[in-house]
Amino acid sequence: MSKLIFLGCLSKKNFESTCQNAIKLIQFLDSEYQVYEDVPCCGSLLYHTSLKEEQVEHQQFVNDWFKEREVSEIVTICAGCYNYLSTYYQENLGDDFNIKVQHLLQFVNKPENLKKLNLIYNGKKLNVAYHDPCHLRCASTPIIEEPRNIIASIGSKLKLKEMENNNIDSLCCGSGGGVYSIFKENSDFNTDLIFKQAKKVQAKVLLTPCPFCYTALKRIKNENEIRIPILKFGDFLVKIMDGGEIV
Amino acid sequence: MSEKGEELYNGLKQRIDRLTQDGTEEKQFVDFWRIACTAKYRSHDIKYLYDDSSREYIEKYKDQLVKMREDFIENIDYYVDKCINVMRKTCNFKVYLAKTNEEAQKIFKEEVGDYETVYKSCSSEALDIGLMEFAKKNNIKMVETALGDKLDKWFEWKHPPYLLGGGVQFTPEEIAAKIKELYGDDIEPDPQAITFYIRDKFRPDMLKNVRVALTSANAIAADDGSIVICENSGNISLITRLAEKHIVAVGITKIVPTFLDACLVTKTLSRINKVSQAYISIIAAPSNTSSVQGKSVQGMYGAREVVVIFVDDWRKKAAKENLIYKDLLKCVGCKTCDFICTASRAFGNVFGSRYGLGATGIIREYIHHGIEAAVKAGLFLCTGCEKCTNWCPVGTDLSEMMKSLKKEATNKGLCPPPLEEYRSKILQDKNPFT
Repeated sequence: MSKLIFLGCLSKKNFESTCQNAIKLIQFLDSEYQVYEDVPCCGSLLYHTSLKEEQVEHQQFVNDWFKEREVSEIVTICAGCYNYLSTYYQENLGDDFNIKVQHLLQFVNKPENLKKLNLIYNGKKLNVAYHDPCHLRCASTPIIEEPRNIIASIGSKLKLKEMENNNIDSLCCGSGGGVYSIFKENSDFNTDLIFKQAKKVQAKVLLTPCPFCYTALKRIKNENEIRIPILKFGDFLVKIMDGGEIV
Repeated sequence: MSEKGEELYNGLKQRIDRLTQDGTEEKQFVDFWRIACTAKYRSHDIKYLYDDSSREYIEKYKDQLVKMREDFIENIDYYVDKCINVMRKTCNFKVYLAKTNEEAQKIFKEEVGDYETVYKSCSSEALDIGLMEFAKKNNIKMVETALGDKLDKWFEWKHPPYLLGGGVQFTPEEIAAKIKELYGDDIEPDPQAITFYIRDKFRPDMLKNVRVALTSANAIAADDGSIVICENSGNISLITRLAEKHIVAVGITKIVPTFLDACLVTKTLSRINKVSQAYISIIAAPSNTSSVQGKSVQGMYGAREVVVIFVDDWRKKAAKENLIYKDLLKCVGCKTCDFICTASRAFGNVFGSRYGLGATGIIREYIHHGIEAAVKAGLFLCTGCEKCTNWCPVGTDLSEMMKSLKKEATNKGLCPPPLEEYRSKILQDKNPFT
C-alpha cells in the first residue's frame, strides 16, 4: 500500500515552489507520503466536456495507474482534483475506486497534525482574507471550516477577516469549467470584486487553496496593480512553519 | 471543432467585446446589472422588513418546497388531471390542455377571436409558449401593460429580457427623450414623473378598452383550482378584472399540489426577490353574483370568462424520460439564480436567450431550438460554480443541467477550441498541458 501526494497538472506546470512546499509539509506530517513522476491528470475538466463513457474510460485508466502503485491514500493540493477524485470517481467506478482522498486542508486540520505542526505566528498583527474555491465549497464533502480552523489555530496575531461573499456564497473566480481558457472577462470582473471585498475588510493578505483561483487572482492583481498579496494556502503554512514573514 | 462551432464561438467573442465598448447596449445593461445583482444579493440578509431575513425564510421552507416540487414531477399526470377536473367542475373555468406550443397558439387564437387586441402582463410563460412571436405573425395586437415591457418595446430591445423588472437599464433621461419622440410630451427625467405620466397616459386606455387579458400565473393549486398571481404594479389586477375574457396561458409546471403550496410559492417569490408585492390575486372563478333571487350568474364586474390554457410541450416528456432538463420542471421562476450567478454578473445579457437571462434562459433556448442555439446564447460561459444550485429555493440543479448541455455540445463539435484542446490532451496524453 502506498500514500500519494497528488499535486495536480496546473501546480506541476506553473507552481514548482508550491509543489515543493506541499511535499515538505505533507511529508513532515507523514513521511510515508510519496511523489510519483508522470501522474496522470485526474480529468476534472472532462466533467464539463465529455460524455460519461469517455469520462469513465479516463477514470479507469487513472484508477489502474493507482492500483499498479497500490495507492490507498491521496492528499492533493488542488481543489479541482479533490472535488473530482473524491466525488466523481466513487460515483462512476463504485467500489473499484477504493482510495481515501483528502485535500491538503483536511489533512492539515486533523488534530494530531495541527498539534505536530504547532504553527505559531509571531509577527506583527495581520488580517488575512480567505477565498473559498467553488471546488471545495461544492464538493460532496465540502471543505469550508477546515481553513478557518487552521487559521484560528495559528494564534491571536493572525486574524481571519471574512469577505462579504464567503463560505457557500463565495464568488467564483471565473476559471471553473475551463472558462478561463476561453474567455477571461468573467475572471476580470469577479476576481477584481474578490480583491475589493478583501480590501474592504482590511485584509493584508488574500489566501486561496486553489491553483486555478490563484492564477486568475494573480493575473488581475498584476494587471490592476492591486497591492494586497495573494498566497496559496500551502505556501502560507510553510512560511509560518519556517518562521518567516508572511508578506 | 465544426465550422458551425467556430462561427458560434466567434459570434460570442464579438458580443463579449461589446461589453466593454461605450455606447453598446451590452455595456449599458451590464453596468446596471452588476449593481442590481449586488443590491439584490445583499437584500437577502436584510432583517428590518420582517423578523427574519429572506435567506432565513428560504432556509426555513426549502425542504418543504423541494419535496413539493419533487412530488409534483413524480406524479405529474395525477396533478395535471386533478387540477383540470377541479377547475372545470368547481371553478367554472374553460380549460385546455395543449400538448404542444403550436396547439396552445391555435387555441389562443381561437379564444382571442374577433377581439384583435390583447392586454398582457409580463410573462415568461408566454415567451416559452411562443405566444409573442405567434401574435406578431397573426396580427394579434399585444399591448404590454407592465412598464418594463413597455419600455423594452419602445426601445426595441432585442436582447434577453430581464423578467423581474424589464427596462430597468434605461436611464430617466433616455425614457423622457423617448416619450418626447413617441408622444411629443415633455416630462421631467425623474422616476416619479415618468411613472405618473405612464399612469395618466395608459390607465384611461385600459379602463376603456381592455376586453381580453392575457396573464400567466405564479402558482395554480391542484386541489381547488385557484390561480395565484402576484404583482407590484396593479396592471394584472386591473386587466383581469376589466376584461371580458381572462386568458391564463401557462406551462403545466405552474401546478402545485395544494392551495397552501400555491401560497407558499407566491410568498417565497415575494420574499426572495424583496419586492413589495402590492397585490396577490387568487382567482377561483369568473366574476359572478347570486344576488338576484339566489341564482348564480357569471360575469358581474370582473371577467365573464376565465380560460386556462395549460401547455405540456416539453414538460411531461422531460419528467417521464428523465431528460437532461427534467430538473427545470421544479423551477418556480424566482430568477434568484441570475442575481447570484457570477457569469451573469460578468456577461450580463450576453449570457441568456430570448427566454430570459442566465442559465434558465439558455436551457429553455436548448429545449426549443437545440444545442447550437444554446451555445450561441452563452452556454460555455457557465463556470459550473454551482451557486445557482445552492441558492435555488426549490432545489433545481441548474449547474448539472448546464454541464450536461456542454457535454452534448462538445459531442457535436461545438466546444470552443481552447477547451477542446485541453479535453483532447487529457484523453490522449493524460495531461492537459503537454
